[in-house]
Amino acid sequence: MLAVYGQHWRINVLTALEYRENFLLWAAFAVVYHGSAIATLWVVLHTFPSMNGWDFRDMAFLYGLWMTAHALHDTLFFGVGNVPEYVRDGEFDRLLIRPLDTLFAVIVIPGQIFPDELILALVYLGITTWYAGVRVDAAFVFCVPFVILGGTLIELAINVIVATIAFWFVRVDALRWIVLQLEQEFTRYPIGIYTRGVRLFLTFVFPFAFMNYFPATYFLHKPESALGLPPAVGLLSPVIGLTFLGVAYAFWRFGLDRYKGVGH
Amino acid sequence: MTIIETVDLKKVFRSVVRRPGLSGAFAALFSREFEEKVAVENVNFSLQEGEIVGYLGPNGAGKSTTIKMLTGILVPTSGVVRVAGIVPSEHRQQNGQNIGVVFGQRSQLYWDLPLRESFELLRAIYDVPRDRFAQNLRHFSDILDLDRFMGTPVRQLSLGERMRGDFAAAMLHDPKIVFLDEPTIGLDVVAKEAIREFIATMNRERGTTVVLTTHDLADVERLTRRIILIDEGTVIYDGLLARLREEYGTHRILVVTLAENYPDVEVEGAQPNGRDGNIVRLRFNRHEVAAETLIRRVLDAYRITDISIEEPDIDSIVRRIYTEGYNALPAALPI
Repeated sequence: MLAVYGQHWRINVLTALEYRENFLLWAAFAVVYHGSAIATLWVVLHTFPSMNGWDFRDMAFLYGLWMTAHALHDTLFFGVGNVPEYVRDGEFDRLLIRPLDTLFAVIVIPGQIFPDELILALVYLGITTWYAGVRVDAAFVFCVPFVILGGTLIELAINVIVATIAFWFVRVDALRWIVLQLEQEFTRYPIGIYTRGVRLFLTFVFPFAFMNYFPATYFLHKPESALGLPPAVGLLSPVIGLTFLGVAYAFWRFGLDRYKGVGH
Repeated sequence: MTIIETVDLKKVFRSVVRRPGLSGAFAALFSREFEEKVAVENVNFSLQEGEIVGYLGPNGAGKSTTIKMLTGILVPTSGVVRVAGIVPSEHRQQNGQNIGVVFGQRSQLYWDLPLRESFELLRAIYDVPRDRFAQNLRHFSDILDLDRFMGTPVRQLSLGERMRGDFAAAMLHDPKIVFLDEPTIGLDVVAKEAIREFIATMNRERGTTVVLTTHDLADVERLTRRIILIDEGTVIYDGLLARLREEYGTHRILVVTLAENYPDVEVEGAQPNGRDGNIVRLRFNRHEVAAETLIRRVLDAYRITDISIEEPDIDSIVRRIYTEGYNALPAALPI
């Protein structure tokens, strides 16, 4: 499996080098995309200097945590989002005859993936950590990678669920965008601004709040935490991510049996 | 040793009834009707290790559905499939190691990169030992002449080159069985011959079992003696190609080039079968009239410059079976 994963990355890099211009354009896209999101935040907080006790510097850090987890997800697991496309054009059949777990086979499909967005995210996270005045001690350095990994797994789990739905309905591109949009909206602001129902949803159903809100609350030593949970729950995000991914994977296996029964 | 076995294989698809037009499509948003379609039924056959079999049938006959069940992509509705001793859909990963698949219409090579990079990735996926990999690659290059384009991005290869690459890709892990779905579709004569040679060599040297679906019966004639014909989901013939030709290829065509422009050409014992200027085609049953007799009759009545006999090609025989049905034809004619 490791050898396959290594080859997958070798090919990704070769492909990125084969299309240098496109690679640079994607890097530019990442700058524009995240730049505009951060600018929006700045405008909003220029009008309202503080949101539930969070100022622009806190929210810039909040965004940095999400951005890094999201960029890591796209770097490692981008192929999962393409499953509906593979199902539609029949390429998925090819994955079913590989001597690999099918989800792993999806993940190692080489493509035009390059960690440009991830590099940008890490730089941005570094800057906002300093800007928001987060105390960088050994505990922080130790915890941050786990928190980001947790966020990545949460996003992966969501995408696995969306991909599985394609086994039933084939075309689910709208659903993919809805979920991505929800994720972006609900990770941008501290969830304390939402009603209790939304907060419960973001904590227990689609646990986006564990991608950045809870960990940021902990790192920034915010006094309040939504739903009255202690801020330290933020450190549970890898556990939440693994659990959620486990659920998503079980659903995937269920959908796969159904696909094999029906075909498209 | 039996390597592939199917018993009463059946596959039923359930699909939404699509009503015509925009209004029909809107109505389907709110209420859906389902219909069941039997794609394949009563498919029974077995293959011995090292055999090559041609699996033939018109479009929509159930060829792909059968192949998908044999490769483990689909689970049969009922019946049993066993490939190399295992049930493919239940042990997909193990089955994946046993089989190689070439879809003529769909490449497994990486579009943007040189051929050799795709092979490297497949080496890792199938966990082929390095020395075995190098040995296979050298051998395949000799037969398929891969060296010329090993470093060219796949998107720049001609269809023939790409198909050669796909064949090598499917064989790199020494599969016991290969499934070839329309492997020569769209290829020129040279590429077709290279591919056929490759299949024959793999079968001879390594004892690879081959299941071949194709519309090009020349593939079948070149590679195999046994064919399975499928139509409307069931097997209508399983046996030797030669026997089929013997039983159904009873007609020959006598092609005569006339020296003068005769208005009507009629010869006892033959039916006119088209005319193009001075070239006249006469169809006859070789069990009813000997070619020699017929030629003599032609020479007695007309002045000609050339004469030849066309053998029935397997294509026309198979087409006849599809349209008339196998049993509707006289089974064994006196020979």
